Amino acid sequence: METSLRGKYAIAGIGETEYSRGSGRTTRAMGAMAIRRAMDDAGLNSQDVDGMLSYHGGDSTPSTSIMYDLGLRPNFYMDCSGGGSSTEALIGLAMGAIEAGMCDTVAIFRSMNGYSSIRIGGTGARAASGISGLDLMKRPYGLISAVQNFAFNFTKHMSEYGVKSEDLAHIKVAHSNHASNNPKALMKQRVTVQDVMDSRWIIRPVAHLLDCCLETDNATCVIVTSAERAKDLRQKPVYVLGVQGRGTKPGGDFHVQHGNLGRVAGHYVGPRIFELAGVKHEDIDVTGCYDAFTYTVLLQFEAYGWCKPGEGKDYVTSGVINLGGKRPNNTSGGHLCEAYTHGMNMVIENVRQLRGTVDDYCPNAAAGEHNYDYSEGGCRQVKDAETSMNMGWGTPAVGSALIMRR
Amino acid sequence: MAVYEYRGQRLDIPDNDSEYRGYFEAAGEHRLVVKKCRACGLLRGEPGPGCPWCPSLEWDWQEVSGKGTIYSYQIVAHTVIPAFRDMAPFAIVLVELDEQAGQPTADDGLRITANLVDGDLKPEKEENVAIGNRVEVIFDDEPDGISIPQFKLSGEPPKGETWQHSV
Ligand SMILES: [Zn+2]
Repeated sequence: METSLRGKYAIAGIGETEYSRGSGRTTRAMGAMAIRRAMDDAGLNSQDVDGMLSYHGGDSTPSTSIMYDLGLRPNFYMDCSGGGSSTEALIGLAMGAIEAGMCDTVAIFRSMNGYSSIRIGGTGARAASGISGLDLMKRPYGLISAVQNFAFNFTKHMSEYGVKSEDLAHIKVAHSNHASNNPKALMKQRVTVQDVMDSRWIIRPVAHLLDCCLETDNATCVIVTSAERAKDLRQKPVYVLGVQGRGTKPGGDFHVQHGNLGRVAGHYVGPRIFELAGVKHEDIDVTGCYDAFTYTVLLQFEAYGWCKPGEGKDYVTSGVINLGGKRPNNTSGGHLCEAYTHGMNMVIENVRQLRGTVDDYCPNAAAGEHNYDYSEGGCRQVKDAETSMNMGWGTPAVGSALIMRR
Repeated sequence: MAVYEYRGQRLDIPDNDSEYRGYFEAAGEHRLVVKKCRACGLLRGEPGPGCPWCPSLEWDWQEVSGKGTIYSYQIVAHTVIPAFRDMAPFAIVLVELDEQAGQPTADDGLRITANLVDGDLKPEKEENVAIGNRVEVIFDDEPDGISIPQFKLSGEPPKGETWQHSV
């Protein structure tokens, strides 16, 4: 496998709007703000950013509008269709565009009024449309939302390995503890396993309300450039050791007909990302495992080999994924508690972790001063975090991964 | 273009819909059909133009028995679709049809999605929803001419050990 790009590219800037349930603004206004903040973070001006990439589900504003708002004149841009697991893959595409000589520095953004305008579950602006094509096999039966689209996989997995709702609840508890130390998080309230179990059922047996992510209005941005260029910019570069995706499992949209239902795309992405990055599981200090629902986290931990199939329940209840544990997951609170962004906030969080400047409640966090007291309203910086891994989820059949090092 | 309504939702099945039109035409005659590859002979549950197991794009509709086993399921306790709210909780099942279970590899099968209903097409009771339970197709005929394949318990003994969640 060609690995000559290992460490040759870096994340130079990160930016985000506030996470809200009522932005009162367009995706254009939010996208421009997230990119502007990432440019300011990196110390880049309009002449310096000559590439743009975005992903959307028919719910964003094209790069060609936002480039105007920012005075950019890209030599390369592309707006791609996609949701979860796109961030990681687009970082790879940005590297490829730069490597090909098409541009030097790429701003990747995602902008969505995911709560106030177009909601993932098909309500809001999408509800009025007719049903055709693949949806004819689903929506007449009441199968419409993301939690349902993936549910057959996890019910089957529960039946094979004896996973219980309580096991999943531990994931929400960990992420809520992390979010309590994140001033930006939509849901900062710490919850208990019992709170999750007492929240109303959405889909039995896979998801209570508190097993589901938070639909959110927001825009996010990461800026990719060469390691050489990044070294001259405002922030410590965070280097890309490897990126892989969007990779698939057999069967694509019809994966429930083919193969092992509990085996998700990470099973195929995992071996490639570790080889590309040249690291092993034990080298990773912090993970960003996509938490559309608590069960997506568990399935991916198994698929990527953090534990054996069927042992995900032990991995997530062991304390490993908690701040202060061996390998904390989604230290911002992730999609369950910080905000639903289709994955970009999890990459942004890991960039901050590797810089050592996580924006928690430590008074001098921006200067990298942390007390590592993870009690409520305190610190969420992982001590000496050197290497991170993101595991993006699109569907059970689609995933991407990214390994970064400080 | 044929436009139908089912449970308050509009179904669009255009004349050029080479994937789904034949499926619903057969359902209107109370036949459950799947696509059969002309080259390798394997069936596929989801109507699509290509065979996932060989290079062929040639196929024919093939009627199947409509008998199968619940392979996985979900109980919808909360739904965002207005017309379904009065139905909840209701089951959506992934049915593995008898014709091609465990083929062409042990993990594969001919699986399709539907609701688990009783003989009156009302949602089956949750306590009767279990992986391993045997089911058979039943057709839900609508006044505007469309017919939707659904599944009901067949009363046969379950296939292997059953599994259901505890609440
Ligand atoms: Zn074939």
